[in-house]
Amino acid sequence: MPRYLAGRVAQALLVLWAAYTVTFIILNILPSDPITLQLSAGGADVSQLTAVQVHDLKAHYGLDDPVVVQYFHHLWAALHLDFGMSLTQNVSVGSLITDKLPSTILLSAVAVVIMLVLGTSVAFLATYVQWRPARMLLARLPAVGVSLPQFFVGLLLIQVFSFSLTWLPATGTHGWRSLVLPAITLALPGSAMLAQLLTRSLSDTWREPYIVTARAKGLSRWTIQVRHALRNASLPALTLLGVVVAYTVVNSVVVEVVFTRNGIGQLAQQAVLGQDVPVVQAIVLIAATLFVAVSLLVDLLYSLLDPRVARAGRAA
Amino acid sequence: MTTSHRHRTTRRLAATAVSVLAAVSLAACGSGGSSGGGTSGTSAAGGTQDGKPVPGGRLKIAFWSDFQSCIDPNQVYWIESRSIDRNLADSLTDQDPKTGKIVPWLATSWTVSPDATSYTFKLRQDVTFSDGTKLDANAVKTAYDGLHDLGAKSTLGLTYLSGYKGTTVVDPSTVKIDFATPNAAFLQASSTTTTAILSPATYKETPEARCAGKVVGSGEFTLDSYSAGKSAKLTKRAGYAWPSSLIANKGAAYLDGIDVSYIAEDNVRVGSLTNGTIDIAWPRQPITSADQQVIKASGATIETRALPGIIGLLIPNVTAGRPLADLQVRKALYKALDLSSYAKTVYWDDYPVAKSSVTSTTPYAADESAKLAHDPAGAGKLLDAAGWALGSDGYRHKDGKKLTLSYLTNAAGPGDQLVQDQLKKVGIDYQIKVVTAAQLTPTGNSGDWDLSGGYLTRADPSVLGSSLDQAVSKQYTAKYSQDPATAAKISALFAKGLSTADPTQRAAAYKDLQDALIDNGVAYPLYDRLQTAGVSGKVHGFAWTSESFLRANDIWLSK
Repeated sequence: MPRYLAGRVAQALLVLWAAYTVTFIILNILPSDPITLQLSAGGADVSQLTAVQVHDLKAHYGLDDPVVVQYFHHLWAALHLDFGMSLTQNVSVGSLITDKLPSTILLSAVAVVIMLVLGTSVAFLATYVQWRPARMLLARLPAVGVSLPQFFVGLLLIQVFSFSLTWLPATGTHGWRSLVLPAITLALPGSAMLAQLLTRSLSDTWREPYIVTARAKGLSRWTIQVRHALRNASLPALTLLGVVVAYTVVNSVVVEVVFTRNGIGQLAQQAVLGQDVPVVQAIVLIAATLFVAVSLLVDLLYSLLDPRVARAGRAA
Repeated sequence: MTTSHRHRTTRRLAATAVSVLAAVSLAACGSGGSSGGGTSGTSAAGGTQDGKPVPGGRLKIAFWSDFQSCIDPNQVYWIESRSIDRNLADSLTDQDPKTGKIVPWLATSWTVSPDATSYTFKLRQDVTFSDGTKLDANAVKTAYDGLHDLGAKSTLGLTYLSGYKGTTVVDPSTVKIDFATPNAAFLQASSTTTTAILSPATYKETPEARCAGKVVGSGEFTLDSYSAGKSAKLTKRAGYAWPSSLIANKGAAYLDGIDVSYIAEDNVRVGSLTNGTIDIAWPRQPITSADQQVIKASGATIETRALPGIIGLLIPNVTAGRPLADLQVRKALYKALDLSSYAKTVYWDDYPVAKSSVTSTTPYAADESAKLAHDPAGAGKLLDAAGWALGSDGYRHKDGKKLTLSYLTNAAGPGDQLVQDQLKKVGIDYQIKVVTAAQLTPTGNSGDWDLSGGYLTRADPSVLGSSLDQAVSKQYTAKYSQDPATAAKISALFAKGLSTADPTQRAAAYKDLQDALIDNGVAYPLYDRLQTAGVSGKVHGFAWTSESFLRANDIWLSK
């Protein structure tokens, strides 16, 4: 087990390094230089400055070094969680992130809970209920959920619950009430995917010989579903959950813009449009870390749920 | 397993779901589009509502974005921040939105040297900043020197203080501001938020800290907190007693405070207004006529005012070898553009039509509409004469080359597509080249475009110089829009407008300039710029400044 863990952690670090490097390369290939970007963000034009002023600015931001030196300099700083200064907003990237990350994490966490509850319940009912029309309806529901664009769902929820019924606020980051609608919007596609996969996997499991045995022993449908079917059927769903959890941060770009939430998603949107390289780089790294951490966690859970996985790792 | 049957059912269900969705969204689009031609009368400007003002309450206003993320009046160019700043900080003078006349504010009187190089201001004696410091000549000197020191950090300051030599303290209540070159537009500049006088202590902070909210002014509100892109909170200043003569309320504000938020989505902003979450919805683009109807149906009103300054312009690239190097082609372009259908189609029926290179609310704006008349047949003739013959593909060609104009923008809108359509009718292939905001300036500087856009807000026609005067501006629009001979003519006219403080002479100079810009094909007025705001029925005393910013001194909320 420790060796398996060490291997997975090393792999995760490699992925993070690759994500950082690829972003650095892509952003440096883009045909514009940071000084121009920074000046135009302030409304000024690089051609209004003298060569000496431009040189001073470049030196100030360490942009006069060769690209390779810059790369190692930034990488070293990033290892110390120092991402430099934002080019478009006169603050450090670190303070921007710490200012905006908590609200996104909270939103994602609530969305993941909703996703789990909603996805599992739909799948559970779709395979548990015996009345055919209800079964059919529940099994088809996820397809609708997946095909709804988040943008559309968000605006629809705002229209109904904020403007017509005035139950919940449409914007802002104040209190739990402002969290409800965005979290539901964010959770919907993920829970639909989860429900779809789990439904399929549960109904497959119901056909397994050991379920027949369980029924022959006289166990109730409920006991079989909860004790035997669900645990075995949840393995593929767990993999998917890992992916969709990480996607909540990515999807927060849309949701945070629609609901005017001041988080990482909104920051990412602004940074990409303004080509704010250090900010984009930091956000990519955060997203990558999340992906890596979640998939690592899922892999570890896997080996807990299914001891064969860890054993296979040892054998290899 | 009946997999194939299952799959078919899934597919059928999915197809149904998709068609239902499509129907819903089409219906939504339909209702938006069909009401486009409805009534769109706008209410008269506020300030005259009946009833006695009631103090108390906080005004909740939502803008669309806080892109620049800076609140320092000296540094911002972002219109929305300037609206907030106008209520935090006072300037030496104020400008009457009706007449464009400069009136006393922190300065009670002033004299201008005939060559417009020296301005002497007498200051009010009773003004204090909200940190308790008294406003005197030294404070004004600190502020102007501080603004000048910002250099390129203050885009507007750079042009407003063009030729700044220094400020001299004549006595504790008199300052003299000197310029090395004539700057007749400076008196107007002294009324703007950019030259707002902040407390001397503010200038000890770094520009970054000031941007983030470390600013202290003498305004009728003080800044409690500012969180970039998120919110700003203002509290009324007790004991405020020095508004400009344009303001009815001579004392402290009626409002307890102002809460600013930023809502990017139009639908959400309008909905928040109609359901009472916010009191004023203040977008950058004019509120669409469909949204106006929704707003009016809820009992709120639409306030409108043309933003003074550079109108929505197309600016040509006349570099040799490019199609627009030929004056005849440039002249044909004026005739090909249909400005009144632009105003009607992109905005609404009574939307003002562009008449000159500056908007109608800019002082000294001329009416050039005779030269801007739509005449597609005339455009065709000019293009024929220039050698661009109509081909079988509907476009014009010359020496085997198609007449293609590429338009550089970072945000293509319906207006750009309309222009594309209008130009196609005379055989011009109008290509819309969309780049990211970050790429706009580099691409502009490279000169690889035929037309680019631009606008800027300032209530003085000299603002055109920032985009078009090669002697002052190094922007790509100035650089590429004129050949050396034309540039010499245009720069001379700009200099003439700035060299005299006499209004009649300035009017004449700027009339000549506006004529010359059209006659030489330097600027294409396209659309007038209206600032619109949806204002809740409980807001009274709404007022615009001359630069179409928010003026909150007279605002009160009915209970």
